[in-house]
Amino acid sequence: MLARLSRGPATVSELAEPLDMSLPGVMHHLKALEDSGLIRSEKKGRVRTCRLNPGVLASAEQWLVDRRSEWEVRHDRFEEYVMGLKAKGEDA
Amino acid sequence: MTDKFDLVLERTIDAPVELVWQAYTNPEHLKKWFAPRPYEITECELDPRPGGIFRIRMQGPDGFDTGHGNAGCVLEAVEGKKLAWTSALGPNYRPAEMAAEGCESFPMTAIVTFEDLGNGKTAYTAVALHANEADKAKHEQMGFQEGWGTVAGQLEEYAASLRANA
Repeated sequence: MLARLSRGPATVSELAEPLDMSLPGVMHHLKALEDSGLIRSEKKGRVRTCRLNPGVLASAEQWLVDRRSEWEVRHDRFEEYVMGLKAKGEDA
Repeated sequence: MTDKFDLVLERTIDAPVELVWQAYTNPEHLKKWFAPRPYEITECELDPRPGGIFRIRMQGPDGFDTGHGNAGCVLEAVEGKKLAWTSALGPNYRPAEMAAEGCESFPMTAIVTFEDLGNGKTAYTAVALHANEADKAKHEQMGFQEGWGTVAGQLEEYAASLRANA
């Protein structure tokens, strides 16, 4: 289901179609995913449409971005520090 | 060799390799640049030999404190050429316990290689490797194709088990 939702929003019946699972079973399963914050859904008339919660992806991307910035900035400090050491060495 | 979780940084610095190596591997030097200000490294042990300890304690004015820190393990140390260490192992290669949260909660391996450019300059490459298993679900940007499929499967299994227990 999540793999399907990763390609875009889908209705409950679209999600249920390829699965060998009763509709109540599918609903229950979706509720567990929704409760865990991985997906959200909205109902229009008789059709419930599910989508992945964008926050799940955003926080995933953000993690790597944070690590990169930490790594870059750490080495900026390193270089500044080395240049300071070098300058001191030259003074001495 | 590198995957989507790796961070690679390549730089040239206008300083001789001996100095660059010292600044990177001497704990007294490392303390001065490793932490983002206003955080400070208040304790640092780095024993640059295979199996040697690499441990830092980071503290901040906001009360942040890693405590004595989970000790990592130096994997390779070739003077003036290469330093590799990991937080996935403790000293003498003992498997490490990861902290529940924060910057010591995920294992990482750092590989830094240095090259003497001969004119008083040094080129260096710093690679950070991150685990891509458990971290994937919470961290990855994987774009939902292959890797995401696996995670999605595990999450669905988990969700199904919740359902079974409900």
